[in-house]
Amino acid sequence: MLARLLKRSFANQKKAMAIMVIAVAFGTALAASLLTVSFEISNRVAVELRAFGANISVEPKVEGMAGLAGQTRWLNESDLKKIKTVFWRHNILGFSPVLEAENEVEAAGRRERVTIAGTWHEKKLQLPGEERKFSAGAVSVSPWWDVQGAWPPDDSSVAVGSALAARLGVSTGNAITVSGRRFTVSGILTTGGREDEQVVMELSALQSLAGLQGKISRVLVSALSTPMDDFAYKNPDKMSRAEYEKWYCTAYVTSIAKQVEEVMTGSRARPVWQVAETEGKVLDRLRTAIYLLCAVALAASSIGVATTMITSLLRRVEEIGLMKAMGADSFGIARLFLSEAVIIGLAGGLVGLLASVWISGEIGLRVFGTKLAQRTMLFPLSVTIALVISVTGSLFPIARALRIKPAVVLKGAE
Amino acid sequence: MSLIVAEKIEKSYATNAALRGVNIAIEPREWVSITGPSGSGKSTLMNILGGLDLPTAGCVRLNGTDICALSEDGLARFRRETIGYIFQQSHLIPYLSATENVMLCQYFHSIPDEEEAREALRRVGLGHRLDHKPSQLSGGEQQRVCIARALINSPKLLLADEPTGNLDRENTRVVLELLKRMYDEEHFTIVLVTHDPFVAEWAGRVVGMEDGHIVFDRKAGET
Repeated sequence: MLARLLKRSFANQKKAMAIMVIAVAFGTALAASLLTVSFEISNRVAVELRAFGANISVEPKVEGMAGLAGQTRWLNESDLKKIKTVFWRHNILGFSPVLEAENEVEAAGRRERVTIAGTWHEKKLQLPGEERKFSAGAVSVSPWWDVQGAWPPDDSSVAVGSALAARLGVSTGNAITVSGRRFTVSGILTTGGREDEQVVMELSALQSLAGLQGKISRVLVSALSTPMDDFAYKNPDKMSRAEYEKWYCTAYVTSIAKQVEEVMTGSRARPVWQVAETEGKVLDRLRTAIYLLCAVALAASSIGVATTMITSLLRRVEEIGLMKAMGADSFGIARLFLSEAVIIGLAGGLVGLLASVWISGEIGLRVFGTKLAQRTMLFPLSVTIALVISVTGSLFPIARALRIKPAVVLKGAE
Repeated sequence: MSLIVAEKIEKSYATNAALRGVNIAIEPREWVSITGPSGSGKSTLMNILGGLDLPTAGCVRLNGTDICALSEDGLARFRRETIGYIFQQSHLIPYLSATENVMLCQYFHSIPDEEEAREALRRVGLGHRLDHKPSQLSGGEQQRVCIARALINSPKLLLADEPTGNLDRENTRVVLELLKRMYDEEHFTIVLVTHDPFVAEWAGRVVGMEDGHIVFDRKAGET
């Protein structure tokens, strides 16, 4: 009988029902599209933010007597590939080893003691189990580095930082002597960082020059990470087992750093906090803005449903009074209106889902230049959003319906 | 034991008193007409006796239950188990057929039975109007649907508020004859509110009201 009652009721109020379905569909489409964007925005924005540089720095662990004695420690170049074997290996977008040594340079009759840095410009690594080669080196963590001329093509060439080159008066094609060995300047490097004061060469060249084969001073790692929250800042040494597992299996920059530290012998990996925190804040603010917009869309749609339902209810007070007189209790009345709300929610959810696929596709194309991935969870999510809108919107009208007094609305002429 | 016992019933609205200390007892299988001029309090009394409204003071025992002590939902459950209603306006749901209007009352009581609802309509002479909407029925036919609906759950008490108020004399007679036949067959109790002396005299007992008081209580036919 309920099904028959609902069918007749819908047929009798086609216009009001259509308005409510449209209101629900509108809210659902908007909220589901924004949530699709919010799911994807982490990846998209995190990838974009990776252009700001590495967010993890790995250095040799210095402790005990070695630390007190100021003894220099090194990391092993052979451990580098292991970085791509950690739990969050797919989030590792790039890494670059650096070996630094103080040395005297001479060019155009000028001498200066400077830092010589050895690194990879771009090195293609064949990783076990991976079909495509992984691109590591400075280009993977510092894509903004600008070389006027060319990156050192071989072990007999160097790039000179722009500030140092100005002081030494060298330019591309000139000769420069480092630790008594002659190199050709293949390019002038501008990074905006300390490299502007350094001589930069291929890692193998510096290892050979310094007699430190297979050694590196530090590694810069660029990893996609989840924004830091309060939990992420907890000390993992003081976590319970369950907390530690949750922390370890979440892509916080701290947990990825911990995993890198585990595979790099004798290392200490730390987040580059300026980068990590900025990323977290940017994503948090974007997400907050999106969630607020979702809340506004949901509230506006619920109000739309509630308004239309109240209007419909005012036309049905006599019907509700009659049902109460016949013995319908609060549950009976609420069940009828909630059933209507659920049907409106399901219909609106379906329409809203289709609309959200189109809207989020357009947002993806216009903002990110590519269509956003539609997740399977969008279907249950849209239906849930639609039900939340329609049921929330129906609560106030239902409360009003329950207050209707049959003796008042069925009153005949006395 | 009386089916209805109402003692010292008072009902006040913001500025006026509709009932002023009404006492009445109604026996099982009685047909009682409550009559009086407009504003005398007869519909208010019927609503209170039927649990559609609560008195400001006094209490009503219906079938042994103090209905004033029931919660709103308890009262609703009590109404569906015990009482059938007929109103002056038919109050049929416009988008349901005659059969479905009767079934709705079954739905709130227990389980709808379409064939039983159709049979109830046939008994009130509407076998040819089973699938008609209220707007396709005459006033008399609408009231007959209401009678079928009110009696479908075999209530102990039938409350009728001006059931013929909107009908002409011919249709009034048809409806009353139908009620009389059903009353004789099914042995329920009727409390019928009317301002029409012709209708009032169909009862076995006539209660007269004026200004919130019972001014007479006599057997039908007596003066």
